[in-house]
Amino acid sequence: MFLKNKPMWGKKTKLKSSYDVVLIGGGLHSLATAYYLAKEHGITDIAIIEKNYIGYGGAGRNTAIVRANQRTQHNVPLYKEALDLWPVLTKELDYNLMFNNCGNLNLMHSEAAMNAARMNIATAQFHGVESHLIDAKEAKELVPALNISEDITFPIHGAMYHPPGGVVRHDAVVWGLAKGAAKMGVEIHQQTEATDITTKNGKVTAVVTNRGVINTKQVMISAGGYSAALIHGFLGIKLPISVLTIQAMVTQPLKPILDHVVSSGAYHCYANQTLKGEIATGAHMDPWPNYTTLNTAHYIKHQAEALSEFLPALRGVRFMRIWGGLADMTPDMAPIMDGNEQVEGFFMDCGWGYFGFKSCSAVGRHMASFMATNTCPDILKPFALKRYQEHKLMGETAALMSYSPDN
Amino acid sequence: MALTITCPICGKRNGYEFRYGGEEKGPRPDEKDLTPESWCDYVHMNKCVAGVQQEWWFHRDGCGSWFTIFRDTTTNLEKETPEAQE
Repeated sequence: MFLKNKPMWGKKTKLKSSYDVVLIGGGLHSLATAYYLAKEHGITDIAIIEKNYIGYGGAGRNTAIVRANQRTQHNVPLYKEALDLWPVLTKELDYNLMFNNCGNLNLMHSEAAMNAARMNIATAQFHGVESHLIDAKEAKELVPALNISEDITFPIHGAMYHPPGGVVRHDAVVWGLAKGAAKMGVEIHQQTEATDITTKNGKVTAVVTNRGVINTKQVMISAGGYSAALIHGFLGIKLPISVLTIQAMVTQPLKPILDHVVSSGAYHCYANQTLKGEIATGAHMDPWPNYTTLNTAHYIKHQAEALSEFLPALRGVRFMRIWGGLADMTPDMAPIMDGNEQVEGFFMDCGWGYFGFKSCSAVGRHMASFMATNTCPDILKPFALKRYQEHKLMGETAALMSYSPDN
Repeated sequence: MALTITCPICGKRNGYEFRYGGEEKGPRPDEKDLTPESWCDYVHMNKCVAGVQQEWWFHRDGCGSWFTIFRDTTTNLEKETPEAQE
């Protein structure tokens, strides 16, 4: 896999002893950052170093859903830009990302939830994101398989309907960005594990890897679920992150039955039908930090129960595959993007939880601008690590997600 | 089963009976000389160790005890106390 075959994104290159920029983690945030550093800033002396292979982590494990109907004024424009970039990137990369803007339906199961949705929708509409509140009957017209009867555990009151959202083929994004970045000279080194970052007088000087030392003045860690452990291990910087395993599964392939992404907070369940016909569905997380990516019978049962209630046509359908990935959760459900703050030349892009995929295109672009100009773009400013100290947590969740004793 | 936790009173039980209570961070900082930084550090910040860590658990669906254990976060297995000390 790693030795004989030519990588699909281009030529295999030797690891040099120095680069202008080193990006730790071969996921979508690194790939997108490298792509935009090369494309928009002419910086091409870049090494992406990845312990496994590109797309091994969250990039290949997420359920491929994209949307821009988040909750706060800081987050919505970022996700909108990311959503708007899919067709642009498809063209630019000359790579079919299989963007299917089938629309998202967030089910609401109480009047309180309907009110919360009204606020989300107002924010979305203010930022030019199409989002509407619809009632149960209209939801049923959009998704005839929905069960809108009142005798289920959480009867459906209505839904937040977000037509521009949908799904993007996540592996295609990995391959497309890798190819696009490599074409401009970015080097991707798989099976290369970062083991340390060395600093001198508060400045980054090198990245130590299992294949030797790489001298560099700029390094970014965007290693998904492993970011927090690496950042603490290398630089002693603690982050407000808890890393949890999140699970997803697909059923056997079916004829077309579901042409929207349907999600429900109350059921802790979301589902969409892939182009292959499988119902891809995801669950909540086992609420204790771990790096296992283990699957649990608990969630297979949970998904089966939830789906057979609000999409009863799926009763009796078999699950075919299940997998787990890591989500690095922050208390306010918003990411941490920062640079040149704790150590000069050190950048971080982490804490995405389960939103890393939908944001990668726009974030790569802004992180690239941040690294190239050493000036934080306005759109990223609210996401600095300092916000926790200043108690300016973001309201991406109504109640703080806390895996600590105060909850 | 994904996780079992040994409660000091009830013994080894299914992990779903418990609630995770955060990384062990030492005593609550003294109110005197408290800075936003040290308070934030205590309240929010984690080490996110990929390996053995000492952590708090609450036996929610059991005896209600709060206690710490050592657990390997890469395997979900409990570890003996002494070898896990930093």
